[in-house]
Amino acid sequence: MTTDHDRDRQVVVRLDDVHKEYGDLKALDGVSLEIRAGEAVAVMGPSGCGKSTLLNMVAGLDRPSAGTVQVNGHDLGGLNETGLALFRRRQIGMVFQFFNLLDDLPALDNVALAAQLTGTPAKQARHRALELLDELGIADRRNTYPAALSGGERQRVAVARALMNRPALLLADEPTGALDSRSGEQVMDLLIDLNQIGQTLLIVTHDPKLADRCAGRLVEFADGRVARESVLEHRS
Amino acid sequence: MSAVWRAARAAVKRRRLQTVVIGLVVLCSTTTVLLALGLLDAVSNPFDKAFEQQRGAQATVVFDAGRVTPGQLADTAARPGVQAAAGPFDRATTRLAERVPGLGDGVFQVVGRADPGGPVDRPALVGGRWAAAPGEIVLNQETSHPVLPGLLGSKVRLTDGPELTVVGVYTSMSGSADAWAVPEQMAALHPTARQMLYRFDSAGTEQELDRSLDRATEGLPAGARTAVNTSFVLERAFSASAKAYLPFMGLFGVLGLAVSVLIVGNVVSGAVVSGFRHIGVLKALGFTPNQVVGVYLTMVSLPAVVGAALGTALGAALAEPVLRVAFQGVMRGTAEIGISPWVYLVGLLGLPVLVLLAALVPALRAHRLPAARAISAGSAPRSGRALRVQQWLGGTRLPRAVSLGLGQPLARPARTALTMAAILLGVVTVTLTTGLTSTMVAYAEAGKSESGPRLAVWAGRAGFDQTEPKLTDRQAEELLRSLPGAARVSADAITEVGLAGYTQPGGGFFRRGDQDPGAARQIAEGRMPTGPGELAASPTFLSRRGLSVGDRVTLQLDGRRTEATVVGRTIDGDGRFLYSTWSTLAELDPAAEAAVYQVQLKPGTDVQAYIDAVRAADPGLYPQPADDGSLPAETVVSFASVFTVLLTVVACLGVFNTVLLNTRERRRDLGMLKSIGMTPRQVTVMFVTSMAALGLVAGLIGIPVGMVAHRLLVDHVGAIDFPAAMKDVWHLPGLALLGLAGVAIAVLGAFVPARSAARLTIAKVLHNE
Repeated sequence: MTTDHDRDRQVVVRLDDVHKEYGDLKALDGVSLEIRAGEAVAVMGPSGCGKSTLLNMVAGLDRPSAGTVQVNGHDLGGLNETGLALFRRRQIGMVFQFFNLLDDLPALDNVALAAQLTGTPAKQARHRALELLDELGIADRRNTYPAALSGGERQRVAVARALMNRPALLLADEPTGALDSRSGEQVMDLLIDLNQIGQTLLIVTHDPKLADRCAGRLVEFADGRVARESVLEHRS
Repeated sequence: MSAVWRAARAAVKRRRLQTVVIGLVVLCSTTTVLLALGLLDAVSNPFDKAFEQQRGAQATVVFDAGRVTPGQLADTAARPGVQAAAGPFDRATTRLAERVPGLGDGVFQVVGRADPGGPVDRPALVGGRWAAAPGEIVLNQETSHPVLPGLLGSKVRLTDGPELTVVGVYTSMSGSADAWAVPEQMAALHPTARQMLYRFDSAGTEQELDRSLDRATEGLPAGARTAVNTSFVLERAFSASAKAYLPFMGLFGVLGLAVSVLIVGNVVSGAVVSGFRHIGVLKALGFTPNQVVGVYLTMVSLPAVVGAALGTALGAALAEPVLRVAFQGVMRGTAEIGISPWVYLVGLLGLPVLVLLAALVPALRAHRLPAARAISAGSAPRSGRALRVQQWLGGTRLPRAVSLGLGQPLARPARTALTMAAILLGVVTVTLTTGLTSTMVAYAEAGKSESGPRLAVWAGRAGFDQTEPKLTDRQAEELLRSLPGAARVSADAITEVGLAGYTQPGGGFFRRGDQDPGAARQIAEGRMPTGPGELAASPTFLSRRGLSVGDRVTLQLDGRRTEATVVGRTIDGDGRFLYSTWSTLAELDPAAEAAVYQVQLKPGTDVQAYIDAVRAADPGLYPQPADDGSLPAETVVSFASVFTVLLTVVACLGVFNTVLLNTRERRRDLGMLKSIGMTPRQVTVMFVTSMAALGLVAGLIGIPVGMVAHRLLVDHVGAIDFPAAMKDVWHLPGLALLGLAGVAIAVLGAFVPARSAARLTIAKVLHNE
């Protein structure tokens, strides 16, 4: 039996009446949402509905105009820029549609970078990065520069980088949006595997197939609000 | 409104910071260059112009009246190569029996001329009129400043001659006489020489002038020619002090130009590179390659023109005080010291043209760029050595923000090279100025008294509405020595004196009394004269006469002669004067009297009480606190400091612009780094490190270059001969600090854009490609 207190502890993300305005534009209009540890939540909706803004709020990349955002017990509103950076470093892993790898670093160093920024020595960081690349099946591409990697490989490098500091929450913004279908499938499999070993996921996507395969809960957005929430049966 | 103009205006608006950077760089550079060119122009043009207006004598030649007849001299006017000639005029060497305001003591040269016109040497009227009859005299004034009140109509009494009335004051750029009288007057003045004034067909160089003069006077009796004053000597006297500043100004001007070109090239290259997508869009919209070039050139021209206009205005405002200092105390005649319009034109047009040329190379790159490639530019993989270095840096023990920063310069080698060159020039400037300041401070210290205040006590002159001293020369010296507080007293006579065998005019300071132990610091080689038959002189004086320490010369004054040895070369000094002892002067003029007394007071003496005591004892003595300041030192240090600030600001702006471009280009990388936890401090460290590394390298190269520039500069200031001790200004702690100059410039320039990058909201760039 789970007590209320236990339920609170298991909440990784809690948004409470979050508003975000850019001038006259309301990107988020009173969003409240909870994500518990080990959940895989997909956020879907048309372009401009506020999905990416939501992701920015959770990642601490942007601040709400009103409302509170708590991630793994941290009230992001109370953190300054450095505090937010340290929060991202320890709690968040991010995967982007366009990978956002550093062009002038090979795959291994792109992955190791996340640990090195925390002060982990280069040798140790590279060792861990190699382990991750190995787990993701691209260890043989460790010395390859991003420009020479396929889209799927790039995204796997990006996932490895996101997992480098063992984050409480993995955020994925259209992770298959720039990939061909085969690479997209590989990334989906990867996300499912990660979730199955307990990684909490928040996926923003246009792709119903991605949501359907990878998420256990679907949050549909419209005009900056949560329009509908549903449990996806096959993963529940 | 054309599409090019519209697009350029939009680009300027979009790149406000870059526009301001270009404007400021051009402003600073224009000011620097304008001052350098202005001085260069002022040292020659005003003299040449005034000299030509007066049809100045390229050679003013004095002949011994006993060896050559007027007819023989008149014949020289028709010799080949003589373009125009005036004379012969009788010339008398006499002395003023009483002092006259505006005229020096000692020898007084009077020339007999019927009028100020003629083919050569047309003195300009300052006040009054030309002498019309015997009994009248016209004075030659060194400047065209208004005539002193009461001078016109006053009487001039000459030794062994009549009393003459001053009826006019003229100024001659040829310096052909101290005064003029009508020819009929000359017999009463006992002329011993005749003067001829020449202009030649060929007188472009001193050698040509000498050859032309030799041809004109060929066949005249040997030894007839006793003295020659040439336009080159006059021009040197006019421009010597200003020319001393020219190497400084010139070097700083060149540094300013070099930094401008580098920065402008870098700014425009950066604008083109960071605007590849913009170029692609323009081309896709239908802009022709030439129109694209037009957009970029217009974009940089707008701030360049504004910067050049403001820089020219600032330069014009600074030029007046600069020239006033540079030409202080110079015999300028009718020459108007100012800057020619062409200098302003260069400032207004030259720098913008230079900016356009610097912008043309990267703009032509935009011209060649295919639209499709331009639109997709920005993510091209880099390869080669740079990547291997990045990889190696990633494996070092350095904090990752530092190693990422160190790798950044490798991403854009050309931009890095331009930025580093700008920092390097900044370091060279700082090093040069540090060295110059040390040298000039040591030079200024050499001229100061060791301790206690110093006074110059002048003997009063009736002509200046002053009281004549009631004490004799020796009594005055004794009085000054006996008053409380006096530590040392010396007396100086100032008189014209010739060197046998040398035609250049000259004068001498002859000193008696207590020796100043601090005088040794003013000697570059040898020592100060102490006994009879000894003299010291400035480097200019010695070099013009081909003399050096140890040489023997014969001094002559009013027919008397004495032998003297050059025992010292001073650090600096007027090229017309030598410094000797009273005992040496006694051989030439036993009746000489001091014109000024130098009094060194004991430390702590009440200066005003001493002055009051002197005035009470003899109202004909006029004490003044001596000026211990060194104008050249203060001027050079001030100029160098101003230029250093300007050039350092420009170098910092170059760094600022580079970091700005880097942060813009790396927005996506920056966003990613922040998303994985790079703190604002780490972002700042990364960008500052990227420039500090360049600053360190620039410092290591720039310091030796600056040291060499300092040595070249101090070795080539002809008017000052710095002793080795004044040139050896470098010490390890100072050099270590200078080593940080490049880092300081880099950090100063990089900090603001780096901080701004650290605060950048990057949410959007992460989601848009």
